[in-house]
Amino acid sequence: MATDAIPDITSTDAEGRSGRQDPLRAHPVWVQILLTTAVVLLGCLIWEFLSLLDPPGWPEIILSRPTEIFPAFFRAVTSGFVWANFWVTIQETLIGFALGAGGGFLLGMGVSLSPYFRKGFYPLIVLFQSTPRVALAPVFIAWFAFGMTAKVALSATICFFPVLVNTITGLALVDENAGLLMKSLRANRWQTFRHLRLPSAIPTIFAGLKAALTFALIGAIVGELSATNEGAGHLIEAASFQFRMHDVFAYLMMLALFGLVLFLLAGWLERRLIFWQVDIDRPA
Amino acid sequence: MVSGGAAADRQGSRQVLTLNSITQVFDKRGDKLTALSDVSMKVDRGEFVSLVGPSGCGKSTLLKIVGGLLAPTLGSVYLEGERITEPRAEIGLMFQTSTLFAWRNVLRNISLPLEITGSSEFDWQERIAEVIDLVQLNGFEHHYPRELSGGMQQRVALCRLLVSDPHLMLLDEPFGSLDEFTRERLNTELARITELQNKTTVFVTHNIPESVFLSDRVAVMGTTPGRILDMVQVDLPRPRVPATRGRPEYNATVNRIREILGLN
Repeated sequence: MATDAIPDITSTDAEGRSGRQDPLRAHPVWVQILLTTAVVLLGCLIWEFLSLLDPPGWPEIILSRPTEIFPAFFRAVTSGFVWANFWVTIQETLIGFALGAGGGFLLGMGVSLSPYFRKGFYPLIVLFQSTPRVALAPVFIAWFAFGMTAKVALSATICFFPVLVNTITGLALVDENAGLLMKSLRANRWQTFRHLRLPSAIPTIFAGLKAALTFALIGAIVGELSATNEGAGHLIEAASFQFRMHDVFAYLMMLALFGLVLFLLAGWLERRLIFWQVDIDRPA
Repeated sequence: MVSGGAAADRQGSRQVLTLNSITQVFDKRGDKLTALSDVSMKVDRGEFVSLVGPSGCGKSTLLKIVGGLLAPTLGSVYLEGERITEPRAEIGLMFQTSTLFAWRNVLRNISLPLEITGSSEFDWQERIAEVIDLVQLNGFEHHYPRELSGGMQQRVALCRLLVSDPHLMLLDEPFGSLDEFTRERLNTELARITELQNKTTVFVTHNIPESVFLSDRVAVMGTTPGRILDMVQVDLPRPRVPATRGRPEYNATVNRIREILGLN
């Protein structure tokens, strides 16, 4: 940690902040990799064993098994057809995220900055926030038919709220003394916003954005599961109807990897954007 | 002047700050709470005055009123003959928490007041280099607050206060969260800086020895309602150096204040 590298000429009180020792950190990376691999292998073994038992009422065709799933996974990642469908899902996710998160951020700013905006919108936000948004899937499909638009709309609606709520929360959380300082410097509203409120809100807003990124993918998939003829959700739906469970699991693995890539990208961006916070969300 | 040659030189003839019968009443859900009752005080140019008292004596409230951040229920504050009704550029504030902006490095934290006021009075870079020298932060310009100890953070906050060259410095327990060693060292630094720059300072603390070490006068405050019990003159020579703490007058003054507060 950077704290240790700096000669401390006035004080010894820097210790308190670097406290928290994560026991996992004490081990090298390969221990982590080894342990995770062991857990995965063990899980696969149990699964394979269960499917070989062929329990009554739970036949192999439904259960599937790792030795079929992994080949199916490699077939899927090398198939242009599968990729074309995943590309549709990726587009829906990213466009939905951009629209939903962008809208959430802008409305959040509006609500935070204008008392009229707040009075007008806040009760509605609270109302809609407690409504399960995936239930809107049929509505969007009725409105926008089977194309990408319905999925983008659903995806955007779902990831709109975490960003909105976190933007409002973040902009409301300002250190009281820092606020007094800006006041004593006779900073105007815009200066206080630009130099204090927005930067101190960024970590909270970013947490909302990260949640929204996952939600955007959920929205796209739920939309595709509901009704469509393309996309990853459609592939899963179709494979499951035809009892090709190994393909279902293969697609799920691809989705998981896609989600992981999104998460890592967001983490990378976060570390660059919010460089002043240490250890933002290291796994606990 | 009782305080001797050095202090007399530091105190110009003009009063910089005048507080006329400040009364502050807070209304908490119908309950009237008198935080300050009829507080009057005059501070001379270059003078260092401390407000000392237990929690709830209204010393921080008084500081906010002087800073123009809070309008008193009754009474008025004058700075250099002008009534204070809002924050002013001539007044600089510092708090117990450093309130540094975590996303700005030391240099850019210090330049914040200049950016806000868009000051063109002096060459920014020159001025910043000057205060960094003064507070001895050289070599830390590009560090971020989280990389600094509490004491270093308060040094940066002091730099940020000094950079706009305020006529009046208001310090609200600036070293209250630091350990004793750091606190003493920073007090010695603060004494040196205020003597060198001839800054008029109002300093809030609940640490009696600290107030004696730094001040020309100490306003001893009491609670319910918050008020000034007595104004104690500190007859210690300037400059104040670590050895000042060993002088018999130092302990005598500390004891005098303790007596006024009913601690002895």
